[in-house]
Amino acid sequence: MTRHRPNRLAGIGAVAWLLVVGVPIYVMLSITVQTREGYGDNGPISLPDTFTLDNYTGVFSQGFGRYFLNTVVVTASVVAIVLVLVTPLAYAIVRSRSRLTGHVFRLFLLGLAIPAQAVVVPIFYLISTTGLYDNLLGVILPTAAFALPICALILSGAMRDITPDLYEAMAIDGATPTRVFLRLVLPLSRGGISTIAVFSALQAWNGFLFPLVLTQSDSTKVLTLGLYNFQTQYGIDIPGLMAAVVLSMVPVLLVYLTARRALIQGLMGVGGK
Amino acid sequence: MMRLRSRLARAVAVGAALALALPLAACGGDDAGGEADQIRILVYGDATNKVETQIVDTFNKTSKVKAVLDTIPGADYQTKLQTIINTNQAPDVFFNWGGGSIAPFVKANLLLPLDDMIAKDPGLKENFLPSVFNSAVVDGKAYGIPMRGTQPVMLFYNKKVLADAGLTPPKTWDELLNAVNVLKAKKITPIALGGGDKWPTQMWYQYLYDRVAGPELFRSALGGDKSVWESAESRRALELMRQLTDAGAFGTNFDSVKWTDQGSPTLLSTGKAGFELMGSWAYSTHQDSKPEFAKNDLGWTAFPSIPGGKGDPRNVAGNTNNFYSVLKKTKHPEAVAEFLKLMYSDEFVQAQLGIGNLPTTVNTEKFLDTAGNPEYSKFQFDMVKQAPSFQLSWDQAYPPAATTTIHQAVQQYTNGRMDADGFIKAMQSLQAG
Amino acid sequence: MAATTLAPRTTTGERWAVRRPGGGVTLARPGFAWALPATLFFAFFAIVPLVLVVVLSVTSWAGIGDVEYVGLANWRRLADDPVMIDSLWLSVLLTALGVAVQTPLSLLIGVWAAGQQRNRAVLSAIFFLPLLLSATAVSVLWRALLDPNFGVPGQARWLFGDGNLFGSRTGAIAVLVLVGSWQYIPFHSLIYQGAARAIPAVLYQAAEIDGAGRWHQFWHVTLPQLRNAMITSLVIMVVGGLTTFETVLILTQGGPGTDTTITAYYMYQQAFRSFDFGAGAAIALLLVVVATVISLIMVRVSGYDKMRSTLEGL
Repeated sequence: MTRHRPNRLAGIGAVAWLLVVGVPIYVMLSITVQTREGYGDNGPISLPDTFTLDNYTGVFSQGFGRYFLNTVVVTASVVAIVLVLVTPLAYAIVRSRSRLTGHVFRLFLLGLAIPAQAVVVPIFYLISTTGLYDNLLGVILPTAAFALPICALILSGAMRDITPDLYEAMAIDGATPTRVFLRLVLPLSRGGISTIAVFSALQAWNGFLFPLVLTQSDSTKVLTLGLYNFQTQYGIDIPGLMAAVVLSMVPVLLVYLTARRALIQGLMGVGGK
Repeated sequence: MMRLRSRLARAVAVGAALALALPLAACGGDDAGGEADQIRILVYGDATNKVETQIVDTFNKTSKVKAVLDTIPGADYQTKLQTIINTNQAPDVFFNWGGGSIAPFVKANLLLPLDDMIAKDPGLKENFLPSVFNSAVVDGKAYGIPMRGTQPVMLFYNKKVLADAGLTPPKTWDELLNAVNVLKAKKITPIALGGGDKWPTQMWYQYLYDRVAGPELFRSALGGDKSVWESAESRRALELMRQLTDAGAFGTNFDSVKWTDQGSPTLLSTGKAGFELMGSWAYSTHQDSKPEFAKNDLGWTAFPSIPGGKGDPRNVAGNTNNFYSVLKKTKHPEAVAEFLKLMYSDEFVQAQLGIGNLPTTVNTEKFLDTAGNPEYSKFQFDMVKQAPSFQLSWDQAYPPAATTTIHQAVQQYTNGRMDADGFIKAMQSLQAG
Repeated sequence: MAATTLAPRTTTGERWAVRRPGGGVTLARPGFAWALPATLFFAFFAIVPLVLVVVLSVTSWAGIGDVEYVGLANWRRLADDPVMIDSLWLSVLLTALGVAVQTPLSLLIGVWAAGQQRNRAVLSAIFFLPLLLSATAVSVLWRALLDPNFGVPGQARWLFGDGNLFGSRTGAIAVLVLVGSWQYIPFHSLIYQGAARAIPAVLYQAAEIDGAGRWHQFWHVTLPQLRNAMITSLVIMVVGGLTTFETVLILTQGGPGTDTTITAYYMYQQAFRSFDFGAGAAIALLLVVVATVISLIMVRVSGYDKMRSTLEGL
């Protein structure tokens, strides 16, 4: 895109939006370094007059290390399942002439409209009867299943960008579908694949409802539930809660900083090209 | 860009392969089902779990059948419990609030009446204050043993604010109304109210009804007599509530204020409000967030009396206590009985007092001096001990299904969106407990 | 980009070339088997439960005790339930407001961030931050920020009055739209940013030769090229909006009264607060139907199901 003249209006707009995003983030950070007493005196938006890191250490002493590990396991597994299942699915959706596959695509389109909370009760019983209740696998499987529709949509969109002559070229070589998949489709949809990896990872990382309903003990707790724990009627600890929020954000932030381009590219790919 | 992307893709693929193997291996050892020689105990997960852990450890030192403690984070406890209680994930013993919180389980024939256990060891009943113990009696049978502390609702106030306005803690309704007017004239919110949470609003109703009509009105309503909501006493209680809101007692933005995000307690501790009606846990909340306020300026008193009211002014409302109830299907009723006996042991009482809870056993009294704030603990203990009736909070006296309706009704009547007839109709729509 | 990476491969692949009798080339196409694992997996966790929900919707069940067949009783009750009817209207209203606020802002921010200047990279890095927070965290944060006495409204009485945002229907709806936008605009602007970057520069060069100004370029080059991105973004917004849950649960709990009880939350309330799983299931079905109809309409209107790359048209 070529832009010659500076666009003042856009600049002002950008700064305004920076404030909208930045101020709440700043407030969150400033709450986490206040003592509970300081926070009680000052409220959320005044400048902190106390400084402490106790809120952060406090969060760790409450078992966040374990929750963190659980969340990593859940997230990585969900991404793995999604990748293994969605790549052949999207390939079939884009290339198969089978009428069944057409129905499958429509099924996944409709699947987009099934909210997880609508089916959470039967899912509880499915998981419970298969003995996976309060087991990380019991969270991983439905989370992955509900990430499938959007990922199938995104990836098949990306795969449609592979032009037909490339397939024809491979067909002249006499390649089998497996060979076409491995040699042509996978390499050329790397962008789409990293998109769905990022997308499903974010969904798993922030997942709330399935862990809430399908686990109960401390050994299977994930971060979002750990945050939820902070809010009970009898103990209010807003600085501790905010510190937990910040800590839950750190791993994503680290990934973001080290692989910012790939991550952004991945997310941008959602819209197709 | 291409290189970065493929590196990510490769990293993701490796990580994915690893991760797929990991949970399968890691989760293999976890055991979801119950072992043959253990009892599973389920409690509300919060900061006070350390006492439950301690008691379980004590129990396991001598018992052949081992107790295992599970917790469920607070806000979702009741939901979770009801979802698992009829599955093989159900515990043997579980935490509850007595009253309506166990009524559906009793009705579904899931709970073990404890009368046989009590016959063998009368201490399981005699060692607890009767007004508390009775909260877990359903249809004449005992279903729960008190297991934490009592949490009566009291009128807290900021001593400094009252002194500056020349006020003393109100003993009667008229004194309270007077205080409201004086504070309002000084541009101070007279009473802090966390209306956004709804249950703090309900505390006003349960006290007003008890003072005006006595505990019988609510008991009849709970028993299925819907006409009591239309009675003159009911309308009188609603009128008093209207008097309070019309006087501007709670300010205008109380529905945006919450107790649970520290909004309303901060109003009180910073002197922006004079009073707050709250459960006894308010003390520890203030002590955590503002110790010198809790020490110097936090005052507490009983709910004021109401002229011409039928209810005894010594009556108390709130959370009577929490209880342990036992599931019928437990394989080790004897071990469970032994475990429950620990709930009146000296060790239990001292541990509870140590973390700021006030147990309701008869031996609590001799340890009150060891409490963090003996004056506060004694005030509460005497209040509960002398109360002719301890009204369990409405939303806990009714089965959980009624909570939403009750909360919406009290919120909408308080903010003026609903009139007395609307409130009466809403309460009459509730299914009996 | 695609052609350059692939070129060497096709040449080395030459030696596998097979001449078929008759000279024609048959394209090797994947069969249904390729879609089978994902389909079965999805069916087990989404379609089977959905069928169970249908069954549940004609029963009365409290989570404990027996499941009792009650025919259409749940449905009849819902049809007469003012809260239910209001909740549908509210869901649509909240979704529409969300789309109306988020789409223009995301579009502008996305197109702006697609520029290559250095400061844009830094700024868009900050713009991205809300995306790293879960809905739980975002809701908790905003609840503290909007406290009427100690948050922003307490400091800006001239704007907020008594700050009773959560005490009025308008206020509570405004909060939900604001918080939802704050959280999701970064995501949607990324979608637009990616699509805007992919617009071939020749199109702008041609427009400039024609003497088109910045606005003209935006309307006649950028916007049409962002069509697919916009459809994707809209579908995600609409489905996401109709199923909003955590935000309502933590920020307003459907209140004041029932003023922000949207259908998704009402379902949760009936099933998991009132333990009326039959009514909850019926509402869940209604929600699925509404979401399906809306996404079907969007898919049909936009031709998403037959979507082709915009590049193909070049």
